[in-house]
Amino acid sequence: MSAARTADILTYVALIALGVFFAVPFAWLISLALRTPAEVYLGAARFIPSEPTLANFATILSDPAFLIYLWNGLKLSAAGGGLAVALAIPAAYACSRIDFRGRGAVMVSLLAVQMISPLVILVPLYRWMNALDLLNRDISVIAIYGALGMPLAVWLLKVAFDAIPRELEEAAEIDGASRVDILMRITLPLARPGIASAFILAMVMNWSQFLIPFVLLERDADWPISVAIFNFAGSVSASTTQLLAAACLVAVLPAVTIFVLLQRMIVSALIAGAVKG
Amino acid sequence: MTATSERAPGQVHPAPWLVPAVLVLAAFYAVPVFDVARLAFSDASLVDPATEVSTAAFRAVLSNPALPGVVATTLLFVVVNVVALQILGLAIALLIARGERRELPGMAAFRTLVLAAWVVPGIANGLIWQILFDEAPYGTLNSILGGLGLGPVAWLSDPQMALVSAVIANLWQGTAFSMIVLYAARRGIDPTLYEVAALDGAGPWRTFRAITLPLLRRAIAVNTVLVSVQTLNTFDSILALTGGGPGRATEVLALFTFNTVFYNLDLAAGCVLALLLFALGMAFTLLIGWLNRGASET
Repeated sequence: MSAARTADILTYVALIALGVFFAVPFAWLISLALRTPAEVYLGAARFIPSEPTLANFATILSDPAFLIYLWNGLKLSAAGGGLAVALAIPAAYACSRIDFRGRGAVMVSLLAVQMISPLVILVPLYRWMNALDLLNRDISVIAIYGALGMPLAVWLLKVAFDAIPRELEEAAEIDGASRVDILMRITLPLARPGIASAFILAMVMNWSQFLIPFVLLERDADWPISVAIFNFAGSVSASTTQLLAAACLVAVLPAVTIFVLLQRMIVSALIAGAVKG
Repeated sequence: MTATSERAPGQVHPAPWLVPAVLVLAAFYAVPVFDVARLAFSDASLVDPATEVSTAAFRAVLSNPALPGVVATTLLFVVVNVVALQILGLAIALLIARGERRELPGMAAFRTLVLAAWVVPGIANGLIWQILFDEAPYGTLNSILGGLGLGPVAWLSDPQMALVSAVIANLWQGTAFSMIVLYAARRGIDPTLYEVAALDGAGPWRTFRAITLPLLRRAIAVNTVLVSVQTLNTFDSILALTGGGPGRATEVLALFTFNTVFYNLDLAAGCVLALLLFALGMAFTLLIGWLNRGASET
């Protein structure tokens, strides 16, 4: 009993040490974002600002361009995530419900393409988008987000579909419902948590994407936040670190918040996927 | 209604269901990869078409004096990250699993914290750590070290230290993935094995060596491959953190490729480098298939 107690204490010691490593960047970012320029120069001594201010956030958020970047990021991420899930549903359903030769090959090739860096395929895709006159259009970014998000979505949705008892579908089938009817009326509603997890994950990945919008969207007004903060960082100096910190927080917060709120659902979907994969 | 029996589960033709996924795989992955290979042997630019077949780009890339350094940096960056990510991820997964078994409070909060770092965009990750590594006396880490009477450390201006800093930033963000994979695998181990070990009087270290580690071997192997490829393809956080500098000290292959195509606008050379990235990634992927086959036979 006391050995277990000692081990409990050691567990906490180790977790706290690791926790400091993971928490410091967030804590520091918040601390800097709340400081006045003068306090930035005081370093660690002013970890808790003596005159905390929201002025940095006000500066950032009162810039209409910044709100446009946030909106662009949201728009592109959501549309791309939705497309990825829509493309993934039929394939995931087939892999879950239909026994066919080559099913394993489909699943493995979906895993394999995830090894391909967007950097590899972006050059040809850029040229095609250019030829189709789709550069600087949201649709080009959304299409690529859909393609990049689809493989993981198929895996997650297959696991979600596998968890739904076939008997429910068979009952509907006896009643004469078609496959598509069954999918729309029974399978998809029952798989709602899995679908939501796949969508949110794809969306969070898209929110983080830098390369694709950076290359495909040239106009400042089309940029999502990930591209905008990179550009913003190039224009700030030491005297505006607190503004950069506030901008980073604003860029990070939506993804972190949604993930933290929904993490129980998403993590269990990921764990189920990891066990099967 | 002869179709009724054909519509029974397991007897439907899969092809129509697979059309969207297969089209996407073809249009966005397979064809572009072939196109990259074609462009690598051409004189095309980012917007102009190819006019002739040539191996000039290959020769130019292979004779580029920067390449050996870039490859060496890449390998070092990947190897160090992968080893550290496994150790950190495994340690956290086992600590959380233990805490949950003992019903200690705070485990979910800790897991959330690690996962929160995971969803930070790569660019923001680079910018956040650039702020933390600020070498001015009031910079985060240096002012903390200064308070302890240590430092200052040249986090980003010293070439070797810059690579260490890039690894630290990558670990902060990447650990969550290893944690999830290994945590899932750890939960899959039959608890009775541990009960038997406890009855036999095995200590924690012996239990770890005799039960946990052997049963996690496959998960660790698969995770190694996934994490290696992810690390190989990482470049946005390094771009924001150091821009590849000082000099080329932190310029990994993916960043080098990015710079070649989108800053130097040397498309053919970029495609040669992209092929190199692709080949390395695929080599790891074949390894995963091979490891999975070994596991399903046993």
